[in-house]
Order: sequence, then structure tokens, then C-alpha cells
Amino acid sequence: MVTRLKDVDAVTVGFGWTGAILARELTKAGLNVVGLERGPDRVPGEDFILPSVRDELRYAQRLELMVDNSIDTITFRNFPNEQALPIRRIGAFLPGEGTGGSGIHWGALLWRNLPSDFRVRSALTERYGKNAIPDDMTIQDWPVSYDELEPHYDRYDRLCGASGQAGNVQGKKIDGGNIFEGARANHYPNAPIKSSNAGVMYGAAAKSLGYHPFPAPVAIASSAYTNPENVTLGACEYCGYCNRIACETNSKASANSTILPVLRLDPKFELRSRCFVTKLSYDKAAKRVVSVTYTDMRNGEEYEQPAGIVILSSFVFGNVQHLLLAGIGEPYDRDSGKGLVGKNYAYQYEAGASAFFEDKELNPYWGSAGMGVVIDDFNGESFDHGGLGFFGGGYIACNTAGAPPIAGRTVPHGTPEWGSEWKRATVKWYHHAARFNTQGSVYANRNNFMDLDPTYKDVFGRPLIRLSYNPPDNEYNMSRFLLTKLEGIIKAMNPTAYDMHPRPKTFTVVPYQSTHNTGGTMTGADPKSSVVNRYLQAWDAHNLFVQGASVFPQQHGYNPTGTVGALAYWSAQAITTKYLKNPGPLVQA
Amino acid sequence: MRDKNSGLTPGALFIAAFGAGLLATTAATTAFAADADHGKAVFQTCAACHTDRPDAIGPSLRGVVGRKSASVDGFHYSDAMKRANLTWDEANLRDYLKDPQAKVKGNRMPFGGVSNGTDLDDLVAYLKDYK
Repeated sequence: MVTRLKDVDAVTVGFGWTGAILARELTKAGLNVVGLERGPDRVPGEDFILPSVRDELRYAQRLELMVDNSIDTITFRNFPNEQALPIRRIGAFLPGEGTGGSGIHWGALLWRNLPSDFRVRSALTERYGKNAIPDDMTIQDWPVSYDELEPHYDRYDRLCGASGQAGNVQGKKIDGGNIFEGARANHYPNAPIKSSNAGVMYGAAAKSLGYHPFPAPVAIASSAYTNPENVTLGACEYCGYCNRIACETNSKASANSTILPVLRLDPKFELRSRCFVTKLSYDKAAKRVVSVTYTDMRNGEEYEQPAGIVILSSFVFGNVQHLLLAGIGEPYDRDSGKGLVGKNYAYQYEAGASAFFEDKELNPYWGSAGMGVVIDDFNGESFDHGGLGFFGGGYIACNTAGAPPIAGRTVPHGTPEWGSEWKRATVKWYHHAARFNTQGSVYANRNNFMDLDPTYKDVFGRPLIRLSYNPPDNEYNMSRFLLTKLEGIIKAMNPTAYDMHPRPKTFTVVPYQSTHNTGGTMTGADPKSSVVNRYLQAWDAHNLFVQGASVFPQQHGYNPTGTVGALAYWSAQAITTKYLKNPGPLVQA
Repeated sequence: MRDKNSGLTPGALFIAAFGAGLLATTAATTAFAADADHGKAVFQTCAACHTDRPDAIGPSLRGVVGRKSASVDGFHYSDAMKRANLTWDEANLRDYLKDPQAKVKGNRMPFGGVSNGTDLDDLVAYLKDYK
């Protein structure tokens, strides 16, 4: 039996970054908000503390902060003519679970898209001609511009205590920063985090080749910093453990460290953890979501929570699954090209390298999740694609996030993977190895999408999301191009040896690559081309606001979370200043 | 550890100087007696964890001067701190904050210590009145 609960003003389905930002903004506007989170509550004072937090085996290998695949997963196939199979244990991407979501274990790289990224179809057409974009490349312009989002990017920077070197403040280019970025109103709130020896060597080599290196921008405070919520973040201690792990000093920003300390004390907010939302009840005639139904995972009891506003703030797969199951919007059909829910899935195309420097002491054990030195000379429309045979691009980095005892053993290609020879090689090279990455865009393609699996179901009996994805040749060529540029820089660093790690042409769901899944509920200018409008309001349900990277029409050459945070503030502002006064569609179809 | 290995790009140095401006100016005014106002600025480093909120990573430091070690109700202290049996008088606090692992070996506070003597004096001066 389902227990029907009392109405609330707003409910969030999922409680990571976007759930927390929306809950905070809506409670500030006077609403009573319930945050529903399928996983456990994660409290810094209980869960982010030494010595347990620096346990690479528990968190980075056994994935304690990630989704529980005994309850839920997705199925995967490369091509639409294949039978999809369930991912029994997540690998290539690691969505988080519990309050804070993936924003606890993230690498904290805090990027903005380029201004031209937001009008990518127009920009490519203007520069390369109206026939330049291939028919199967289903990219489209965003319905919101960089300039409109800039104040919200800035707000998110300040919330997180971001550290970095600006390269463009109010149109003034600054050497040592990213001169290709869009204009910022302000500098980063904190100075860049430090660079490692390898990072400094990489920066010098990149500069010698005429590129423009700068320290990677991160949502990690380089010094103690009090954010606009009056929450103080600690200075990063460079422990070298924080990828896939929580931060022990409240330096790496998470919803838990930046917003929840305030929300937890707010009587207008109620957090319900271990509450797994299984259903949105949709009134198609009224174009409203009436309620959400959830299961309390501690005892299996079911509850129906009616709400005035529903914030859909789960991971990409969950957002798409909820819309498909509720019948909100038309499911994408790859064969006819009709429908939109599930369309334009993209997955960040990364490929790396490692290099070895016999005579250089690189001290790889210290670091910070996103720490690195980067060039952004070959991203988006910052360079000419004439004659290259692909569109898009990415940034190229020397990553020095630390080298913890299990995973931080980079050895030259050809070394056995275990045994005495492997041990000798890890001892020989531990202090002398550097790692690199290229972080590439994925321009949407008609063959890459999500729908409901016809065979496999989750523990509640709901069809799993079925992912059909393989990087198109465009992305493969883009990645190869970035790797040749990276190889040039590595050679200029004069290594003893180096290995390039191109991705195979066929995507595999192991090993880990990134958690940057995007698309499926894309934002756009009209209901013919998008699932949500420019304020992330569903065209087919005016009280439903879909948050997160599922609204990306395609993926640009940057980590998504900066744009996810900015969009959350942008959407929240539209709700509090427009929707509350006049509930209904904010954009006329 | 950090200082020996740090390497900032030229641009990073520019911004580091820009960011540190506020602290440096206040530090310059602490010529003679301990300066609790400056101590408050130093305390920012502590404030990320030592808040009065229920989800805090560290115990509240209100009224810490004169308190017994490991005595905040409900806080999960390390075994090392439980065994320390100290009274947080000014001398003990100063020693501890200068090098936490030297004073209480094995405690679980992830903080390397305050190396600058003036900062340390001012921080202790601030904590005396932090109630």
C-alpha cells in the first residue's frame, strides 16, 4: 500500500549538486522543500574524516561512494543492431550515490564552455559553409548564451571557492591564464592550486611550442575561503587521494561542504535519504507532474509525495528513465529520427599518455584531484578545422592528482601486469612517471541514444535504461589529432620513454574513462527540437524542471560540472523570479 | 612538503600575490603584542572544520582555552587524542598548533601546523576570547 503524504511546495528527485542548489534557492524564496535521495546521507563530520577517508581500496577500487548495481544499472550496446547487456559492475563511468551524488568523489575540474560552444551549429555553418555539418551529426545551438550564463558560472565559482588563473576578465586577456575562454566578470575567488614538477615541465614545453599553458581551474580552495553561504572551506592539503574519495578538509567543493551545512539547519528544508523515487505521476491534460512515488530503502515502504514543483535532479540515466516511464515527451526513435527523449547522448572522449623521466624527481605522491597544467589551444572553435576532417576539440593536460599506492603505479608499456618484473618496474619508475590526458568533445550523432531496455529490469521491476553508444569517426579523428599535439609536447619535455594511449574505435564500458555522460533531455529553443526550454522547464510539464548534464544538446571539450552548476542557478532564478509569480510555461511554444 | 616541491607558473604567482594581499596587510600591523584580530584571520584556516554546525569535521573550539583535551560531547576523537590527557592552556595549544603530530602523535586532524610564530601567537590570542 502506498502512503500518501502531505503536499509540499517542491521536491527534488536526487540530491547531488543540482538538487542542493535548487533546494537552497527555493527555500530562500520561502518554499518548503523536500530533498529525496536514493542513497545514504553523507555527512562530512561522520563520513569525510581521517583515517578512514584515505582508503584507496575501499573507495577508489571497491567504489563505496558509487551507485549500487544490485539495485539499478543500465544496459549497453555499441550499435543499434546488437543485443544490449546489463553492466553488472560500473566501470567506464562512476555515478555517485548518497547526498552529494557524484559531486563528492569528482575530480573537481571546473570549466566553462566557450561562448561559441553555445551556438555550435550556427558557428560551424558560418565558418565552414551550410553543407559542412554531416547529416548524422545532430548538434544544435543552446537556447541560452554564454553571456546569459556568465553571472551563474560566476556564482558557482564563488560557492565552490574555485581556484584558477583567469585568462579573460571583462575582455582583458591575461597571460598565464586561459586566453581562449569567454570573458569573466571576475577573477577566480582563489589563487590557482600549486603545480607539480611534472606540470611545470609540461607548461615550459608547451610554451616553447607556442601554446598557452595555465593551471587547471578547480573547485578546490587553495586557501581558506568563506563562500557566499557563509560556509568556510579549508585550504587544500594536497593529500593526493581525493579522486573517487571525499575531501577530509572541506577543500574540494561538494554540496555537502558548501550548501548542506546551511540547508541542514533550515526548517524549510527536509532531507529524506535512502528514499528511491520510482515514479513521476504525470497529468498529461494539465501538463503537470502531480506527485512522485518513492520507496524507503530501509524497509520497503512506498510513499507518494505530492508537490507543487518537481526538480528532476538525478543522474543523466535516471532523468531520462523517469521521463520515459512517465510518458513525458516523445521517446526518441533512431530509425525514424522522430522523438526527443533519449536523443543526443554523448560521452566525453578522453585519451591519454604517460612519460618517464629517469633523472627527474617528480614526487607524484602529492596532488589534488584536478591538479594539472593545461593547454586549451585546440578546443571548440578556438582553432580552424579547415581540412582536418573533424569538428570539435578538447583540452590537453598533464594531470598530477597524486599517485596512491594501488592505482598510482605508472609503468612503461610492455611491463608485465604482475610479478617480480612489475614490482621492479614500479619501484624504478614511481618517482619518475608523469600522466597526461586529452579531454575531447563529442558532437551528438543520431546513432547514440538512450531508450528503455525491452528485456532487463531493475529491482523494482522498471525497465533499465538501454544505452546505445559508439564514438563516431568524427570523435575518433578529433582524439587522434589531440594526441599528436600532446605527443609533440611530451617530446619537447625530453623523456626517457613515453607511451601514447589512443582509445580503440569501439567503446568499451571498462576501464574508467570519465563520468561525463550527457544528453537525453536536451534544452532547446522550441518543443520540436528539445525536451526542456531555456530555463530547463519541461515543455510537456510546466512544474517539472530537469537539471544536470542530461540537458546538454551535445558535449563540448570540457568537464560538464561547471556548466551544470551554472545552469542550476540560471534555472533556479527563473523559478524564483518568474515561475512562482505566474506558474505556467516560461517560454511559449 | 608542499613548499619544496611547488612550482607555480608566472601567471599563478601573479594571482597568488593578489589573493594573499589581505592577509599580508593585516600581518604587517602585528609588531609587538599578540593581535587577536589578525588571529581571527588566521583562524579562517581552522574554520572550515571547526564550526558549531552538526555536520562539522572538527570539534567546536569555542572556549577551548582551559578545556581538557578530547572533551567535546559527541565528537569522535582519535585514540591518540583520547589518550593525550592535556589541558589546552596557552602553552599546550601553541605547541599543538605549531606541529600537531609532534605534540599528539597519531591524532587525526589533517593539518600540518602553523609555522609562522606571529601567526601562532595571534591565533592563540584569538582563541582565548573565542567563546
